[in-house]
Amino acid sequence: MLSNLLVQLINGIALGSTYALIALGYTMVYGIILLINFAHGEIFMAGAFVGLMLVTVFKVHIIFAFLGAMLFCMIMGVIIEKIAYKPLRRSTRLAALISAIGVSIFLSNLANLVFGAKPTTFPPTEEILFKIQTYELIAGAQITNLQILTIVTSAVLMVCLQYFIKKSRIGKAMRATSQDYDTAALMGVNVNRIISYTFAIGSSLAAAGGVLVGIYFGVVKYNMGFMVGLKAFTAAVLGGIGSIPGAMFGGLLLGIGEMLAVALGLSSYRDAIAFGILILVLLIKPTGLFGTQIQKKV
Amino acid sequence: MFKTKNLFLLVTFILIAALVAGCGGGQTADKEEGGGAADADVVKIGFLGDLTGDTAVYGQNTLDGMKMAADELNAAGGVLGKQVEIVVADHRYDKAEAANIVQKFINQDKVSAIVGDPTTGVTKATAPISNGAEVVQMSAGATGLGVVEIGPYVFRNTLLDTVGGPATIDYMINELGFTKVALITAVNSDFSVGLSKIFKDAITEMGGEIVIEESLQEGDTDFSGQISNIKNKSPEVIVYSGYYTEGGLLMKEARKQGMADIIMIGGDGLQAPTFWELGGDAVEGSISYCGFSPEQPTEETAKFIADMQAKFNKEADLFNAQGYDALKIICAAMETAGSADPKVFVEALAKTKEYPGVSGVTTFLENQEPVKSPVYLLQVKDQQWTLLKKVPVEM
Repeated sequence: MLSNLLVQLINGIALGSTYALIALGYTMVYGIILLINFAHGEIFMAGAFVGLMLVTVFKVHIIFAFLGAMLFCMIMGVIIEKIAYKPLRRSTRLAALISAIGVSIFLSNLANLVFGAKPTTFPPTEEILFKIQTYELIAGAQITNLQILTIVTSAVLMVCLQYFIKKSRIGKAMRATSQDYDTAALMGVNVNRIISYTFAIGSSLAAAGGVLVGIYFGVVKYNMGFMVGLKAFTAAVLGGIGSIPGAMFGGLLLGIGEMLAVALGLSSYRDAIAFGILILVLLIKPTGLFGTQIQKKV
Repeated sequence: MFKTKNLFLLVTFILIAALVAGCGGGQTADKEEGGGAADADVVKIGFLGDLTGDTAVYGQNTLDGMKMAADELNAAGGVLGKQVEIVVADHRYDKAEAANIVQKFINQDKVSAIVGDPTTGVTKATAPISNGAEVVQMSAGATGLGVVEIGPYVFRNTLLDTVGGPATIDYMINELGFTKVALITAVNSDFSVGLSKIFKDAITEMGGEIVIEESLQEGDTDFSGQISNIKNKSPEVIVYSGYYTEGGLLMKEARKQGMADIIMIGGDGLQAPTFWELGGDAVEGSISYCGFSPEQPTEETAKFIADMQAKFNKEADLFNAQGYDALKIICAAMETAGSADPKVFVEALAKTKEYPGVSGVTTFLENQEPVKSPVYLLQVKDQQWTLLKKVPVEM
């Protein structure tokens, strides 16, 4: 029992770290323009497909496929923002939200048309990466090198992001814009450019998540963004939307929660439990675990 | 500002154009197939199935088999002197869409019969509509429980799970000697839930032991948790009652977690190339049962396999054969009754006895349930289903 719990904990951390990567995009965009970017899940899907195409069609090394997918989605995120959200920036928040849902449906249908509805497989890991090995931990628990890779890559990306936000000029400008959009603009911050940066970074993290999930589960599908997007959004809200550490923590909590449900023999209720955690946290702390009081902007 | 506005307009137009093109495409496709709605010189048979969704492999193959049967019949003068026309629609494995399509078949196309859907879930969702409208619906693949009970106009032409399931478990326990079983069910699939019940009863009856029962949701891709639980109980075999997509991913995950030699045993839901496309080496050795095998064919079956190869340039599979047989059984009943009116020929159809089809010999029992013989046990070898054993069935 104990070893199984430990194994499920590791499974949960691996799954949760992918949720966290995607949740960051939701939370960063929300922090700056108070928009829930529902197309974010589809960017994750696009990242997975671009990574897959680069590996199978263009035969590039998996590391370059990983970076290529991040670059592609970076551009894609910025274009989506310019086309679908920027013209609506001064209209009601609902208009931008509906536009986001529209983009999401458009992208998943486009992927359905281009790639078909059948799930597409990633090449076996031993061909593109390494042979899967399991390592014994304490009490008979095991971890695979693929899980280590997923967790470490996510962690590195998140540390880089944290450093970027805290130390760089753009990061500072982002934080300023997030605190007060208009004042930041008055202080000489080019807010349009900052918003583009936010979308670019968030989207590239989602793409990284997409490629990692593609390698980890070995399968890519046109509608994979929907459920994962929903879960990542849940993770972002759980941690307190707008808070970057909150998104990381929320993702991990959600992944671990789901896997513990499986460990307890409730596999068919794992989604119900994931969303149950959300409801519970919101009831006790409506701003999420790391959330600050939301100030209504006038 | 002007520029942005222009760009926005441009994109809006592109989106609208894409949408219009999409809808337009669908409509023309429908029209093409359903063109002569008022034409009395043809016998119309609707094809209900999935051509682009999760079970598209089944739908497309059923349709190809039906086309083959219709072409053969038409070349030989048709049914009751009329040409057979197949009306095609794609429900994308969406039950609501499937219900709409059945309504359209009945009210707009005025079909004599509907062949499809190959899955139990969609059939159960749509058959009440055709039964209510007194139109024959024959599923060429629904193997689960509670299908023909829907009403006197609902038929199916397939090897039943209640026959194939126990035969497979018998082989697993008595010939392979696997008694410690991990049973996995896809809880959001009618087919899987029904088959799991049959597997479970057969396993306990024949002296096997289910050491762990796991469940999953069709459409999920992460099964790491379920496999960890299963590994923890160290079973000798994994029995999975669902479809090929999750089947392949489950086995891949099992290998990833170091379950090196375990095999999967399942129903005919595993019968699609997607199973090894997703599972790769991990599904080698997996076993399932099926009502059709291209190996060791009878004379009719050998001809059918050769014809399919010539027409579609592919090896015939179960769904080709069942779709082919379903259409021919219906047309045979029309000939016997001398009418293409479903209210008339339904009686002749229900009395079909020992029909020698390409997917085995078919008899409909009093309660409309089909009995088909033999059961084929198949095993994956080098990414192909190969014949393991033929088990005859009492009629």
